Amino acid sequence: MLELEGVSYRYPESDPALKGISLRIEEGEKVVLLGSNGSGKTTLLRILNGLIFPQEGVYRYGSDPVTERRLKDRSWSRRFRKEVVLLFQHPEAMLFNPTVRDEIAYGLRQLGDEGDLDGTVRRWAVRLGVEAHLTRPPFQLSGGEKQKVCLAALLALEPRVLLLDEPTANLDPRSTGWLVDFLHELSVTSLATTHNLSLAGELGDRVLVLSEGHELIFDGRMEDLLGDEEKLLAANLVHRHGRAGERRFHVHDWS
Amino acid sequence: MRARIALLAYLAAIVLATMVHEVGFLALGLGLVLALAGRDWLRILRRACVAILLFNVVVTLSYAVIAGLQGTFSIGFVVLVNLRVLLLTSLTFLFVSRVNPFEALAFSRSLTYLFTLAYSQSMAFKQALENFRLAFKSRRIEQVGLRDRYRHSARMGVHFLDKAVHQATEITQVMRSRGFFDA
Repeated sequence: MLELEGVSYRYPESDPALKGISLRIEEGEKVVLLGSNGSGKTTLLRILNGLIFPQEGVYRYGSDPVTERRLKDRSWSRRFRKEVVLLFQHPEAMLFNPTVRDEIAYGLRQLGDEGDLDGTVRRWAVRLGVEAHLTRPPFQLSGGEKQKVCLAALLALEPRVLLLDEPTANLDPRSTGWLVDFLHELSVTSLATTHNLSLAGELGDRVLVLSEGHELIFDGRMEDLLGDEEKLLAANLVHRHGRAGERRFHVHDWS
Repeated sequence: MRARIALLAYLAAIVLATMVHEVGFLALGLGLVLALAGRDWLRILRRACVAILLFNVVVTLSYAVIAGLQGTFSIGFVVLVNLRVLLLTSLTFLFVSRVNPFEALAFSRSLTYLFTLAYSQSMAFKQALENFRLAFKSRRIEQVGLRDRYRHSARMGVHFLDKAVHQATEITQVMRSRGFFDA
């Protein structure tokens, strides 16, 4: 469904953000992308969402290469933007409509799908628990509520692929628990990034790890990753420290 | 000390460039700046051109319309103004690529404070601006109309204003906590 083949990306006047990434995500998979800060997780999601384009390698959605030129094709771009959606780490960047209702309806209105617009908006608002805020301006909401509004706006499009950039980074433990359960119930293909090893197993069944060298160094099951101490250390996902002469290796609980 | 001398030289060059009204001398100055840039000359020239493009086009077109209506249009003046802005901008890019501004401004607490504020804000805003731009692009299924663009720009403006106030407060507190304002 999503395929990267030898993808590399470098921001202008910077070191490489991604080096030779190859991976394939099949329909229905729930994947989690682990990596320390600055390893290239956000860059990878932006490539998968067709916002930036790799200088080397190929990104395919289905059998179609996703390129700047391809996205200029209106009907293809329309389908891609509806089917592959991205939840940004900072939800305020996504919100600009006058009310929560307008925000959730924004994508559907663009599609001209106004059949039961109110019903669809309400249904997703109820599912995300923001129905009480439908007439409020989104910028007045708390961080967690903003994120729920963004999710409702994206899911109202009934996408095939949901990309989530550090979805739990700004949430308290209760909201994190809620989001994990919510994502599990969704039948959509998903790829969520996190730097939190303790949470990775909750966000997906398959784990990808980006190293600090911006390369994909692991693709497999969480249990296998947890047994590979050197890989965890190389990716800066755990730390080793000495206390009273003793060498310790562990993962801290996040809650 | 070297950074402070470079700062003084930079300020003197800025004053000189604004006092010269000969295209030839300004072109010579630009040539000198690019020669000092060495292997970076093309990168600095390109960055300066990109940085001034929008501003200069607007100013030049406005001048052309008004002076044209008044019958006082002068191509020499257009070249002079554009060349001067290009020289000043290239000079600034050369300065910041060669000198650590924090070191150059270390003699003045107030200037260091102002520079720290401005630098931190510009870095944070650059990233936020990119986030807003990409988020809007990501949610754009069809070509969007003026109303959506206006709403997005307005929301971004308000966000940046809030962020600027919040961040300036935070940076000031950080600097106070580190003893910057202590006598």
